[in-house]
This record gives sequence, C-alpha cells and structure tokens, in this order.
Amino acid sequence: MKLLEFLDVEVAYGAIVALQGVSFQVEEGEIVTLLGANGAGKSTTLRTISGLLPLRRGEVRLGGVDLRKLPAHEIVARGIAHVPEGRGIFANLTVQENLELATWTRKDKAQVAADFRYVYELFPRLGERRRQLGGTLSGGEQQMLAVARALMTRGRVMLLDEPSMGLSPLLVKEIFRTIGEINARGTTILLVEQNAHMALKIAHRGYVLETGRVVLAGTAAELAADPRVKEAYLGG
Amino acid sequence: MYTVIIQQALNALQLGAIYALIALGYSMVYGIIRLINFAHGDIFMVGAYIGLGVALFLKPPFLVLVLVTMGLTALLGVTIERVAYRRLRHAQRMSAVITALGVGIFLENFVRAAISANPQAYPVLIAPRTLSLSGVSTTNVQLMVIGVSIALMLVLRYIIRQTMLGKAMRAVSDNKEVVPLMGINLNLIVSATFALGSALAAAGGIFYGQAYPMIDPYMGIVIGWKAFISAVMGGIGQVDGAMLGGFILGTVEVIGATFRSTLRDGIAFAILILVLLIKPTGLLGRPVTKKV
Repeated sequence: MKLLEFLDVEVAYGAIVALQGVSFQVEEGEIVTLLGANGAGKSTTLRTISGLLPLRRGEVRLGGVDLRKLPAHEIVARGIAHVPEGRGIFANLTVQENLELATWTRKDKAQVAADFRYVYELFPRLGERRRQLGGTLSGGEQQMLAVARALMTRGRVMLLDEPSMGLSPLLVKEIFRTIGEINARGTTILLVEQNAHMALKIAHRGYVLETGRVVLAGTAAELAADPRVKEAYLGG
Repeated sequence: MYTVIIQQALNALQLGAIYALIALGYSMVYGIIRLINFAHGDIFMVGAYIGLGVALFLKPPFLVLVLVTMGLTALLGVTIERVAYRRLRHAQRMSAVITALGVGIFLENFVRAAISANPQAYPVLIAPRTLSLSGVSTTNVQLMVIGVSIALMLVLRYIIRQTMLGKAMRAVSDNKEVVPLMGINLNLIVSATFALGSALAAAGGIFYGQAYPMIDPYMGIVIGWKAFISAVMGGIGQVDGAMLGGFILGTVEVIGATFRSTLRDGIAFAILILVLLIKPTGLLGRPVTKKV
C-alpha cells in the first residue's frame, strides 16, 4: 500500500528552484533512501514533506491525506516523524524532557509510558543519561536522542536526514542497525544519506536526485549495481 | 543601626520585586523570539490602569482583583503579539524593535486620550496598617507586595521548569526551527509567553499603585527601562537572571537614595554598564556555545 506519495513537486527558495518536479513514493513498511550530492534537494524534500517549506506545485500525501495545506505541527500529528539534519536536539533540556516534548500531541498516556520504556531499552545510553542536558551528550548520543524523539511522536513514516553525519564508523553501524530494528517493528522509513554504501545496504529501494530531479530509481540492489551510482556515490 | 538596615532591605525588596515582575516579561519574550519588547513597560502601565478600573467597577477582594487584572492584561499582551509582532517574526530584527517602540507610544497616548494625562490616585485596595516589630516599622501593604510577588515568581518558575508548556518555552528558546517537528504549535507557545509576561507586569502595576500611590500614562517608560536593565544585568533570556537583576537594582536604588536621591538613577545605569563590561551576557547569562 502506498503510504507516502510525493508527486511532481516543485519547491523554490526565492528565484532558486530546489526541486523541479520530483516524484517518488514509499510503500508501507519499506525503507526507501534518497541519494545525491550536496544541494541535490534531499533535505529540501524532507522539509517539504513535514511542512517546513511550502511547495509551488505538486502533491504530498500521507495515506491518501493531502498534507499541503497543513501546518508543520499538524503534519506530525498525522504521522510524519522528522529527524532533522544536524539532529536539532534541545541542548538546554534534559534527555527526558527532549523526549517528553515529542509526546505533545499524544493523548494515549499508557502507550506513551510504554514507548518511554521501549526507547530507553533501544538506547540504554539515553536511559543512563536521562537527567543530563541534551547539549552535554556526545555526537552519537545526540543522534540517538534525535531518533528516539522521533519515535516518541509515534509517526507512521520516519524521515531521517543524514543520520550518519559526523559519526565514527562504529557509531554509524550502530545507528543503521537501530534504523533496521525500528523498521522491523513497523515504522516506514525515508532515509536521506551521503553514505550511499550504508544506505543501500539497509534500504529496499532508492532514488537518486541530481539538481532537483530524480535521475535514477530502483531497488537497492539495482542501484548498488548501477555503474553511474557506483562511480558517483560508491567510490568507483 | 540594624533596624535601619532591615527597614531599607524591605524597601529594596519591595522595589526590586516590582522591577523583577516586569523584567521577567522582557526576558521571556527575548528568550523565545529574540525581540526586545519595548512596549512591555507600557503594558505594565496599562496593567496598572486595568487594575484601577477593575477596582472601581467591580470592587472585588484583593487577590481576585490581582488575578482578573492579570488575565485581562495577558489578553492585551497576546493581542499585541498577534497584531503587531507575528508578521514581523522573520523580518529584520530592527523592524520588530521599531514596531515595539511604536506600540508603546500608542499605548501611552491611548491611555492619555481615553483617561487623562494627569496622574491618578490609586485606590486603596488594602487598608494600610503600620506594623512594628522590635523597632522595625513596615506596613501590611509592603509585606503583601513582597510576599505576593515572590509567590508569583515561584509559580512562574514552576511553570517553566516542570510543566509541558514551560518545557516547550525552553525548547523554543533553544531551537525554534525544530519545535514544530515535535507537533508543537510555535504560535501557541509565543502567545503563552506574552500572556505570562504581561500578566506578571500587570501584577507589578497594581503593586506599584499600592506602594507608590500615583499612576500616570508615562510611568511605564522609566520603570520599563529599569526593568529592562534588570533583565539585561541578570542575563536576558534567563528567568532567574531577571529576578536577580530586579532585586539588585532595587537594592542599589534604595542604597543610592539614602545617600543622595538625585544620584539614584545614575548609579543604576552605571552599575548596568559595569556589569556588562565585566560579563557581557549578564550575571546568569550562559556563554553562547553550540555542539555540532
């Protein structure tokens, strides 16, 4: 079933057109990755889905519901969980408070409590540091907190913007293993990555963006075998 | 000798409490949207007038009067943000600051036109009684101003530290762009901040009217500046800083006035400059650090 649809979307920053009619879709339960160089429009795509950027043309639908007219905070309540580029944690709030804020729209108290237990089980390090301020965490821990926070919103689709950025290879592995686990528990994932190698290992399908257009699409295996992808994103 | 010190300490607490109540509004609004709301001193003034109106027309018990006035003034603050500032949130900083100055001038002239440019005597809301305890003489009004102010500040502190609203306010102050991604309506948090700040200023206005029993449409200017100084001195954006700054300024002024009353304001401003030279972010201001 099509869960997230992005149809012929055009987005511009002033006179600069960042997305020139991008289309893709994400099926329920999938991990889909968007690959591309800096400035190809990957983050712009995610920011458009969560309502942080207005679109000039095209459609964005989640489970058939039009997201275009909704403000960003309502889109979260509809089921989009966005882990922003650079993590965007609240540095002067504790780990626990960061997570609590992500439950702002939720009324299901019992489920929230269960989700706290789940998240602290998934990231024991966050559990140990729950009274610590977000800003005192290491880069890897901050990334975990950003993912944990997105989990607490109970989104149906999680948008991940460069989760591996600035992390050691070991931590990158850990983060990707966690993404796989989250997906296995039923969350659909749209992953933006510079690390094409890791992304294609975990994803089911992928799209390659170049200067605001989709230039390639296919299963992860097809993309990994494509000579153009190999040359441009997998280091030959 | 020590009775004089205690008596002056009570005077300092009373004045400081009023500065602190107003300073909190400057500090919170700045913390959230990085706007120096120069109309805030005038919101304090309008709050005092609203309190006067409520007292004359409804004659409620004192605490009810304070709460009703706080509520009405909160509405004023929310309306000002909605009408004058919201559209400028992404505009140049200077546009919003100029607008705030304009809103302040509007409020002063509105009150002047609607009521009078002349000072008004504030109604006596609590029958004053002089209390003396082993040589220290004070009034029930003074103790009430100090007590209720401190209680209000403790409530605010609780809201900011413990409640979801307070956590959201701190989150906005930290990273405004990410707040909507938590499902939080940013405008709601900004409105709530203006409501809280204006409500506290209104309480300050009533207490001012009780303690120094004349009010006029321009009283918000100098007192507003001093509250602003308190906020900056304490570290603008920091709630505890605003309170600390208010009490320090109150103390400095009371001490200054015992020596030479004409030097009072000069001393206050000199101390501001000194504090900022030594610690530019204010006494409790955090140095700007960011982990990437």
